[in-house]
Amino acid sequence: MTVLSVQGLTKHYPGFRLRDISFSLRQGRIMGLIGKNGAGKSTTLKSMLNLVHPDGGTIAMFGQGFLPNEESCKQDIGVVLGEIDFYKQKKLADITAVTRRFYPNWDEAAHRGYLDAFALDPQKRVKELSSGMKVKYMLALALSHNARLLILDEPTSGLDPVSRDDLLGLFQRLVANGERSILFSTHITSDLEKCADDITYIKDGRLLMSAEKATFMQSFGHLKEPGDAGELSLEEIMIRTERTHYDL
Amino acid sequence: MIFNLLYKELRLAAHPNLFVFTALGALVIVPAYPYGMVFLFGCLAPYITFMYGRETNDIYYTALLPVKKRDTVKAKCLLMVLAQVAQMLISLPFAVLRVYVLPNGNPAGIEANVAYYGFGLMIYAIFNLIFLTQFFKTAHKVGKAFLWAVIPATLGVVVMEAMVHFPAFTWLDSVAPAAQLRQLPILLVGIVVYIAGMCIAHKVSARRFEQVDL
Repeated sequence: MTVLSVQGLTKHYPGFRLRDISFSLRQGRIMGLIGKNGAGKSTTLKSMLNLVHPDGGTIAMFGQGFLPNEESCKQDIGVVLGEIDFYKQKKLADITAVTRRFYPNWDEAAHRGYLDAFALDPQKRVKELSSGMKVKYMLALALSHNARLLILDEPTSGLDPVSRDDLLGLFQRLVANGERSILFSTHITSDLEKCADDITYIKDGRLLMSAEKATFMQSFGHLKEPGDAGELSLEEIMIRTERTHYDL
Repeated sequence: MIFNLLYKELRLAAHPNLFVFTALGALVIVPAYPYGMVFLFGCLAPYITFMYGRETNDIYYTALLPVKKRDTVKAKCLLMVLAQVAQMLISLPFAVLRVYVLPNGNPAGIEANVAYYGFGLMIYAIFNLIFLTQFFKTAHKVGKAFLWAVIPATLGVVVMEAMVHFPAFTWLDSVAPAAQLRQLPILLVGIVVYIAGMCIAHKVSARRFEQVDL
């Protein structure tokens, strides 16, 4: 089952254009959205969520159009925007008390379970959390209303290797029952090698490729150079695709 | 849903200052004071709360809740209405009390009478309409929106305060029952203008916010 379908997403900013982005995510899978800084990953995610007003394209979640069904679609998704903290001075308990009111299927017992599992103290303030803990708190909120699709913008950026590994392990655990799906953007290629099932690569606002991981890796065989043994790593694929040749 | 949005505004988005300035409705008990200032405090309060909202990324949080994007605007409109109406309701018992405690009236400007509340609603309508529609063009330029809105609101206050010093308008400065009855149309116009202003402000702001890129 397709949980997310993006078709022909277009957005024009002065000096930047997101062109005709199309991909889809199936249930129970983790998709990594990669691209270098400024490639259009965040714009893609924000346009999907109507935070940014797209110029064109259609978004469908769980088989229904996102814009005409914005409220019901949002009931089933959880979003973590990297580097955006809400209400830094507030206690987690206060934010939870407000958030839960918006979700009829909020499961308070499950929420307490997630806070325990992630070692989050509800009496702590947002500013007292590390970057990894903030992501985990947002995940705890999303999981407590049983979000089926998690959309995460750069959740691993700025994390130390241990926290990153911890979070990637958690992502895999979350999709293990086949019910949930994750779309996350990153520029850290090793994240995807560890846990992505599918990869969508955006370069300069254009979709370069969106495919299952093995197919994706094989399709960049033309980038191999003499002396390369075996398959290219994702990092090599990205660097060789993006490499700038200065003619000074 | 409306109640939940308002709860969110009060518990997470509102700066503590909003509650303080709302309580300043009680200033009408001060013996000699330009009571028009109460409404200017009521204009400052949302300005500070909107700045605080920008600092706390309140707009992002709201836009990601399972509500329509335009409901973010509705939440802010509701908060402003609640604060302004609450401020007036808080001031009412003090306005009644001062008639008995301070029977000599307010030498500084208009009395806290029926006309005063009518003018106050009109001043708020002007402020809200400009402030909200300007702010939601960008959802972050709050200082500019405040400046555009507070200038006409201040002029409204000055006109109200100055007018009662002219002999022709002394009936506006009275708390006598007959004079207050004569002032009643001003209050009614104020209520109509306030409601209409807020509806237009909400509609225009929501349309503008739909186009904003967060």
